[in-house]
Amino acid sequence: MITTSHFLVLSAILFTTGVIGVLVKRNPIVIFMCVELMLNAANLSFIALGRHFGQVNGQMYVIFALAVAAAEVSVGLGIIVAIFRAKETINVDEVNLLKS
Amino acid sequence: MVGMSDSLAAIVPAIIVMITGFVVLLGDSCVPAWRSNGKALNPSVSIVGLLIALFFNQTHIGKEAATAFNGAIVDDPFSRVGILLLGLTAIFSILLSMTYLENKKLQHGEYYVLILFSLFGGMLMVSANELITLFVAIETLSVALYVLAGFARTEEKSEEAALKYFLLGAFAAGFLLYGIAMVYGGSMGLAHDGQPTTNLAEIATGLANGGLMSVSVMLGIGLALLFVGFAFKAALVPFHMWAPDVYQGAPTSVTAYMAALTKIAIFTVILRICSAFAPISVVWLNTLQVIAVLTIFGGNILAVTQDNVKRMLAYSSVAHAGYILAAVVAVGVQAGKFRDLAIHATMFYLFAYTLMTIGSFGVLIWLSKRGRDCQTLNDLKGLVKRDPFGAYVMLIFMLSLGGIPPTMGFMGKLMIFNVLLQSGLAPLAICLGIASIISIYYYLRVVWMMCFMEPDNETVSDRAVEQSGVSIAVVITAVLSLVLGLAPVIAQNIVAPASNILLH
Repeated sequence: MITTSHFLVLSAILFTTGVIGVLVKRNPIVIFMCVELMLNAANLSFIALGRHFGQVNGQMYVIFALAVAAAEVSVGLGIIVAIFRAKETINVDEVNLLKS
Repeated sequence: MVGMSDSLAAIVPAIIVMITGFVVLLGDSCVPAWRSNGKALNPSVSIVGLLIALFFNQTHIGKEAATAFNGAIVDDPFSRVGILLLGLTAIFSILLSMTYLENKKLQHGEYYVLILFSLFGGMLMVSANELITLFVAIETLSVALYVLAGFARTEEKSEEAALKYFLLGAFAAGFLLYGIAMVYGGSMGLAHDGQPTTNLAEIATGLANGGLMSVSVMLGIGLALLFVGFAFKAALVPFHMWAPDVYQGAPTSVTAYMAALTKIAIFTVILRICSAFAPISVVWLNTLQVIAVLTIFGGNILAVTQDNVKRMLAYSSVAHAGYILAAVVAVGVQAGKFRDLAIHATMFYLFAYTLMTIGSFGVLIWLSKRGRDCQTLNDLKGLVKRDPFGAYVMLIFMLSLGGIPPTMGFMGKLMIFNVLLQSGLAPLAICLGIASIISIYYYLRVVWMMCFMEPDNETVSDRAVEQSGVSIAVVITAVLSLVLGLAPVIAQNIVAPASNILLH
């Protein structure tokens, strides 16, 4: 029997994976994929909790989160393309003009 | 919430701002006559739209609170004061932007559209009374700001700033959303029908009535993640590392705008959340105090070594965020006993912070010449002889940022001290005092450079001509910083309604 806590544990694992990925990866596209993982972990929690409480709210919130994530993707990829045009690389270690 | 009027009337100012954004967007791209006059038309239409929105906002200021979207958005005196500050920020930034953009060959209508859309997000943030609405509003503001930070497309630094801002902002969004999910899961029994809820008014009522038997682990984790997300967005230590890079790389007019806008919007949100969760302040009070102390010292100490004025102001804005957070913390003392006092001090300081930040970045814009920005301390050497106007207004802003009387920054700090001492947070007040003394060093270093150093051949010497918009904005902010410092009652009366926050 798969209970709500199974979903919540899975979502916690996905979220942690996402956080670690953001911290260790050096390619902005991969970093952004990890951010998406974090957002989708939250979405999974919402759906599982909504089901658990028998409330439609939790599932509805996911629609909002998806729309926001889509808007973020379009802007983020635009910025990454602009960086690539200027520098021919998108590795975050080589994008380092700004420092004290 | 039942029985309260629930209509779109509650978000009229935000709707006006959004419509103005669409008008500018469509006018600039579809109407040839508009396009050829876009240089003058885009900013003036934007400012007119903003003034209309603020007019509607101010006519509401004394009225009863109202809600929209089934209580998800609330129009209470608190949010009206927040909207007033946000609107003023946008108007000043547009005045600062006009000639600066022209010098950098960035004069596009989209700039004003993005300013208006991010302002729309900010207005929803201060009005949001429900966590998912809040999330959507924060992202509306942030996504527009990511684009603005990278608006100087040909400059690698601007693109780099946009990338860093975007990656860290999206990271923060992940924490926020997960935090909201956990708060939702941990809020069982707080709504009036015993169900879980993300509505802050219901949470506040539920907590005040003891609807929660005990604070579940889930709610605790949720609050912690929520605050991590806010700390990223507000650049609180230890989540501040993006701020100096982004502030330095973004076009200066954008820096001025986002420095003020994000601080106002995020801190009004934190105030609302802290007020709602004040009955369980035992969970978050100590953590926020530690973050406040770290931010106050971290920002000030890191600012000391900076040679780039934009970076220095970025770290100083981190420090100011710490001062504001210190005042916000007082909301949680004794389950919200000092809430009104804390809100009053916070909003007053946000007002002061807005004026002095926009003003000091405005002076940098004023001094920038065609093709090169005024950015480093070197560029300010001997300014008092070369450009006395710029030097004297910069002096006012530096004194205000340093909290030296008779400026508004001093009055703001005084009010924060007052609320900290009254609510028994004396250690925080002592930290604030010590850090302020450190801060005076680097603010006065700017003054020293301007007054007692001779310019050398690395100094940006002549500024671009014809900057009426910039001079208007800089003069107004400087005069207000002084006048409201001498007569703080005026500003206190403006922000006083904010204490009336809707939490039932």
